[in-house]
Amino acid sequence: MSEQLVKAFVGLDEGGVLQHVEQRLKAGDNPLAILEDCRQGMNEVGKLFEQGEYFISELIMAGEIFKQAMQLLLPKLAAEGPAARGKVVIGTVKGDIHDLGKNIVVTLLKAANYEVHDLGVDVPPERFVETVKETGAKVLGMSGLLTISFDSMKRTVQALTEAGLRDKVKVMVGGGMTSEDVCKYVGADAWGADAQAAVTLCNQWMEG
Amino acid sequence: MDKEALYQQRLQRIEKAINLEPVDRIPVVYMGVAFSPRYMGMSIAQFCNDPEAALNVTIAAMERLGDWDGINLPTTGRIHIVLSSLWLSRVGVPGRDLPPDSLWQIREAEVMTVEDYDYIIEHGWQAFLGYYLPRVVDMAEFGETMAWVGANVGRVTETFRQHGFVVVAGGAGTIPFEYFCGGRSMEGFYIDLYRIPDKVKAAMDVIMPDLIQGTIMQARGSGVPRVWVGGWRAASALVGRKIWDTFVFPYYLQMVNALAENGIISVLHFDQSWTRDLERFREFPAKKCILNPDGMTDVRKAKELLGDRMAIMGDVPASLFAAGTPDDIYNYVRDLVRDVGPTGLILCPGCDAPINTKPENMEAFLAAAHEFGVVH
Repeated sequence: MSEQLVKAFVGLDEGGVLQHVEQRLKAGDNPLAILEDCRQGMNEVGKLFEQGEYFISELIMAGEIFKQAMQLLLPKLAAEGPAARGKVVIGTVKGDIHDLGKNIVVTLLKAANYEVHDLGVDVPPERFVETVKETGAKVLGMSGLLTISFDSMKRTVQALTEAGLRDKVKVMVGGGMTSEDVCKYVGADAWGADAQAAVTLCNQWMEG
Repeated sequence: MDKEALYQQRLQRIEKAINLEPVDRIPVVYMGVAFSPRYMGMSIAQFCNDPEAALNVTIAAMERLGDWDGINLPTTGRIHIVLSSLWLSRVGVPGRDLPPDSLWQIREAEVMTVEDYDYIIEHGWQAFLGYYLPRVVDMAEFGETMAWVGANVGRVTETFRQHGFVVVAGGAGTIPFEYFCGGRSMEGFYIDLYRIPDKVKAAMDVIMPDLIQGTIMQARGSGVPRVWVGGWRAASALVGRKIWDTFVFPYYLQMVNALAENGIISVLHFDQSWTRDLERFREFPAKKCILNPDGMTDVRKAKELLGDRMAIMGDVPASLFAAGTPDDIYNYVRDLVRDVGPTGLILCPGCDAPINTKPENMEAFLAAAHEFGVVH
């Protein structure tokens, strides 16, 4: 592991991270090893967030640096790449067109090596169900900023039950107004107060 | 009691709460922008497009519900135009871009560019608005709305008064952070703060005097010596400490001080959690602010740290109005009064009771406020 790269990530030093990645690629270093170091950097940023040292703005900037690093690494990575930790279907529910929180979660999940199927915004229950069925994803994430999203989340959970999929998929919800009460109301397995919580939940479920 | 006498009694109650003086009853104020038309059977499209109907339906909803001391901030003009101007964003409008009875929604996108900071630095805020606003609003509709607001803003306050209701805040301003964050989109703007901090700060400094002046003008136009100073994405839970210390707090301090010097109280309408930085709020002038959190800031910590400096108005969460039960609301209000009242508390929905507030929950809120708010 390159401590220098991880340190640059934690310091949100965009130029430092990209320069380091470029230098290692030029030196013929294994791109998978460099990618792993970038993930380690993201992981450290996530830990600082959980400890209350970092906040959403730092998560967003770290995610942006990760995306930039990926652009350098992707052409060099073998087509198959490392095996994903698992599949996650995600989207903003029917009636809500806000995608900001969801997009942050998508970036963090990808950085944590999940295969993410992002369905976008205003996603009807049947589309969530179809995609869970097609992909065999073990996690479904639903996002909504507005309180009107609660009923759409509830309908989606009902649709999963009707399709016989409810016990095959863990459901997490998040977004501005979600809470423990909302989680119970919609029938989800868990809720996240922030984007990092989505990664933590997925890790727990994949390990479990 | 006639409406004017009732108005005076309610105004006095609210002013005492702001001044941290004992009250006979904890004031309770209404806030349910989209709930009002839904509750009264008006389409959201009509609410958006007809400012007169929006005013009337809000008062009708308040009267149907009962004995409110006032309203937090009335909708003045077309709500989607107001929001577009405040957040430099496009807004999806019911009946036009969205189904007629659905809620208006901000369309998060990077409409403002990095080059726009340079334009602002070179040409100033007013020139920028003329250059930028056509990207997010229909300028004919914008002009019409501004003309309506200019001609009617004082009458809106007066109409509430004629019905016995106090307008707590007669306008809404905010700091440059929130404008730019709306225009650039949250993700793009947060990245700007790390990539081009000096440029962002220079643009903020250019527009700040105009924003202060505009907020003072709103208070003067409405005849209400109190205005919202909003905070959404500048919240402590969202931005890192250094960013907050550099791009957020100094601007709030400047705004609040300038308003106070002009005899205007700042209603710190702060969504999300500001708990990390509550201590800093002690730097605001005493009794010149009302903290108006949405249920996410630790309101008990706010009381502990700021109870001798400013009143607290809130903070029953929007999610409780939508997904909770009347018992949940009742218990929340009881606990809030016990822990944060009776002095320096104004009961109010946190942020805004949402469109899908259950009517029985709004009724329970008012009933609980009357039951627990009486000071013995």
